[in-house]
Amino acid sequence: MARMKFLCDADRCIECNACVTACKNENQVPWGLNRRRVVTINDGRPGERSVSMACMHCTDSPCASVCPVKCIFSTADGVVLHSKDLCIGCGYCFYACPFGAPQYPRVGNFGSRGKMDKCTFCAGGGGSEVPGSSEEYAKYGANRMLHGELPLCAEMCSTKSLLAGDSDVIAQIYKERVITRGYGSGAWGWTTAYREDVKV
Amino acid sequence: MGGNPAEAHPVSLQHILEGKELNRANMIVIDPRFTRTAAHATDFLRVRPGTHIPTIYAMLWHIFRNGWEDKAFIAQRVYGMEEIRKEVEKWPPDEVERVTGLKEAEVKRIAETFAKERPSTLIWAMGQTQYSFGTANVRASCILLLATGNVGLSGGGANIFRGHDNVQGATDLGLDVTTLPLYYGLDEGAWRHWCRVWEVDYDWMVSRFASKTLMQTPGVTSTRWFDATLLPKAQVSQPDTMKAMFIMGHGGNTITRMPQAKKGIEKLDLLVVCDPYPTTWAVLSERRDGTYLLPACTSFEMNGSRTASNRSLQWGEQIVQPSFESRNDYDIMHMLAKKLGFADQLFKNIKVENGHVVAEDILREINRGGWSTGYCGQSPERLKAHMKNQAKFDVVTLRAPKDAPEVGGDVYGLPWPCWGTPQLKHPGSPILYNTSLPVKDGGGTFRARFGVERNGVNLLAEGSYSQDSDLKDGYPEFTLGVLKKLGWDGELTPQEAAVIAKVGGSNPDTVSWSIDLSGGIQRVAIAHGCAPYGNAKARTIAWNLADPIPVHREVIFTSRPDLVAKYPTLPDAQQFRVPNIGFTVQRTAVEKGIAKDFPLILTSGRLVDYEGGGEETRSNKWLAELVQDMFVEINPADAAERGISDGGWVWVTGPEGRSKARMKATVTPRVGKGLVWMPYHFAGWFEGVDQRSKYPKGADPYVLGESVNTITTYGYDPVTGMQEPKATLCQIRAA
Repeated sequence: MARMKFLCDADRCIECNACVTACKNENQVPWGLNRRRVVTINDGRPGERSVSMACMHCTDSPCASVCPVKCIFSTADGVVLHSKDLCIGCGYCFYACPFGAPQYPRVGNFGSRGKMDKCTFCAGGGGSEVPGSSEEYAKYGANRMLHGELPLCAEMCSTKSLLAGDSDVIAQIYKERVITRGYGSGAWGWTTAYREDVKV
Repeated sequence: MGGNPAEAHPVSLQHILEGKELNRANMIVIDPRFTRTAAHATDFLRVRPGTHIPTIYAMLWHIFRNGWEDKAFIAQRVYGMEEIRKEVEKWPPDEVERVTGLKEAEVKRIAETFAKERPSTLIWAMGQTQYSFGTANVRASCILLLATGNVGLSGGGANIFRGHDNVQGATDLGLDVTTLPLYYGLDEGAWRHWCRVWEVDYDWMVSRFASKTLMQTPGVTSTRWFDATLLPKAQVSQPDTMKAMFIMGHGGNTITRMPQAKKGIEKLDLLVVCDPYPTTWAVLSERRDGTYLLPACTSFEMNGSRTASNRSLQWGEQIVQPSFESRNDYDIMHMLAKKLGFADQLFKNIKVENGHVVAEDILREINRGGWSTGYCGQSPERLKAHMKNQAKFDVVTLRAPKDAPEVGGDVYGLPWPCWGTPQLKHPGSPILYNTSLPVKDGGGTFRARFGVERNGVNLLAEGSYSQDSDLKDGYPEFTLGVLKKLGWDGELTPQEAAVIAKVGGSNPDTVSWSIDLSGGIQRVAIAHGCAPYGNAKARTIAWNLADPIPVHREVIFTSRPDLVAKYPTLPDAQQFRVPNIGFTVQRTAVEKGIAKDFPLILTSGRLVDYEGGGEETRSNKWLAELVQDMFVEINPADAAERGISDGGWVWVTGPEGRSKARMKATVTPRVGKGLVWMPYHFAGWFEGVDQRSKYPKGADPYVLGESVNTITTYGYDPVTGMQEPKATLCQIRAA
């Protein structure tokens, strides 16, 4: 069974935000919520590097471990989904996540949170809706996986920095790149999310 | 140098980074600002804005001194390099450092790398062109490439990244006020050529103009239109001042001196804005009457050919029907021509079906007349076959395999020059001036544009020729007369000979490859392995320009008034029908001590999030969310001196007409001390006032902001009329 992962090659990311824009449009993510964002360190200084971050769909997801209503789970493909019907907007998953992936729409005064929203790997939702249905789309966004398509963020990446797909395939692509380059590894977040080396 | 492709052309970075990764290419960025492109460079040099020519000459100083130039290439294919050497001698390391701020060791390092680790390419964009000496800048860049033998080879050359979809095509097809389509110029010969192509009477064409002189005089550039409107009639070299503007797809906020543009808009009798969005033009001024908004659709809502930076053409298919009542550019032009009474002539050979212009016919007309540039072989049928067979083309070489049906051997998009008629099946030329290929396979030589000799010096190539050429030396451009001398005229078909006779009238021998409507002269020259335009040396001396050899000149509003005495701008002159008084403006600024009151250098550029004037992209909710405020980048040291905090509001004031603009500060070491940078995509605020209420209801972009061009100042290139938004002065204080 294929295991889906994201890999952002920080030597390639140029902070163009094509991934962010693709995600927003494909999933109609409203203003103020970001399933994906580009983080830049050392901005404007030598050593400036950017990485595109979203839910990494961890192997042993801390968010799922802390969820009091058990609404977060991993699919057979390794994609971490959740049910917005069960979610109570408590925010525990936000604190547990090492990547800041879970987002919450503000639904009222005093900062009260709505249902958690996050990257679905463009694989629809974890609720009871029929996969690919308009109900699922309204609640979770696109279900590209249903048609064998990869997340649009990676498909739209200007420099092929953001890779998404079968972990063996993208690890192989990345491995070849690093060997060809002959310098350092820029696979940011990989070991945190998957607890394994990219073997280069 | 002079470009930030990571933001302006993000997809190009894939190729640049692959070059770095796969070929271990050096990637050197020279820029006043540590750009996102610089963040990925192997070497970065920070330079003072407006010192491109000293930087290039600084490199050449080391190259010549150490003998790193390509001597064989220069001897065979370059004219005038000895004169360049003399100019370069004026730029020893201490003078370079005084003017540019660059240190000898770092210049020597990049010069050696650039000259020795071949091939080298120089990539630029508006950071070279948008200066009062922009033409000289790009000529200096080409001279560096010529000196190191980096023209006409795979991996080398001048890579000038264009701004957006079809910007190259628009340039080629007549936006340039100095020429008819495809660089034929404006003289009688050019008009007669196009009148033959259009099948309209030349005398009728002359009758459309106030005079034949005016017909042959370059027009007013988009950078100067308001001067042609506001200046006294006596100073404008046409029958009257500019009275009307018809604006098609142009953001007014991309032009410098916006306070003057505002006055200009108010003075016009007629203003027509033809655009998907109302744009700055509609809201900037206090104008009440005589303004018309014509809704135009986008390029996704129409068919047609589009030319990219690499001169490749693609056939664009309509994706969706035009929104609301908008129409495409062709149909709007047809309706306008009908109202003005010359639609029959303008659309004589272009079909209009049910009120819609047939896009294929437009390209066919370009093909029939576009011999000069090799826009003649890219028929709509061939381009459509390319789109259909995209998968067959190699992603690196851009070639389709010889045996591929329909497109075998072609280069994707048939990059011009694509010689001869479409039936000749020329594959297009992916690299210009490449002698390692036969002309029929996309090879070429340098053009013989400027005669065969000058002051007794041979201008033709010596011992260099394209592969399989029957002529093993330089040769002039082909005419019927030249074919006769070579004894090749018998190879013309009777039909071709008849067309040439008709074009030439009483003097057919003078009919050249560029006006022969049969394509026969091109066909015969190419059959003998020769380039139709001749085989000459590239000239480093442009004797028809004010500065035949590029020389350093300070920007008009310079941060270094001490250098103006030695490096003044060119004298005042009448250009593009209006006076260019740059010299007077520069001298006055120095005398008034402007640089003391406005101590910060202001430069401008692009953001990845927005495009051009930004009306379209600031109206896209996803893009608008990414950057919601106009801002200025300022160095932490300059910010601290002024009590400015990151994200705080500031007032920026400019040195002309008490201009002022209110925006947010981004405090960052991306800009060095003394330099500030602004993006140019914003509009909809003017001098601190939000103009949102002036947009037609529902037509206002999500994000509005001050335009950098409220602050930018005077300065125009004498050859192109290009403005100078890349270097001026300003002052900033916390708001």
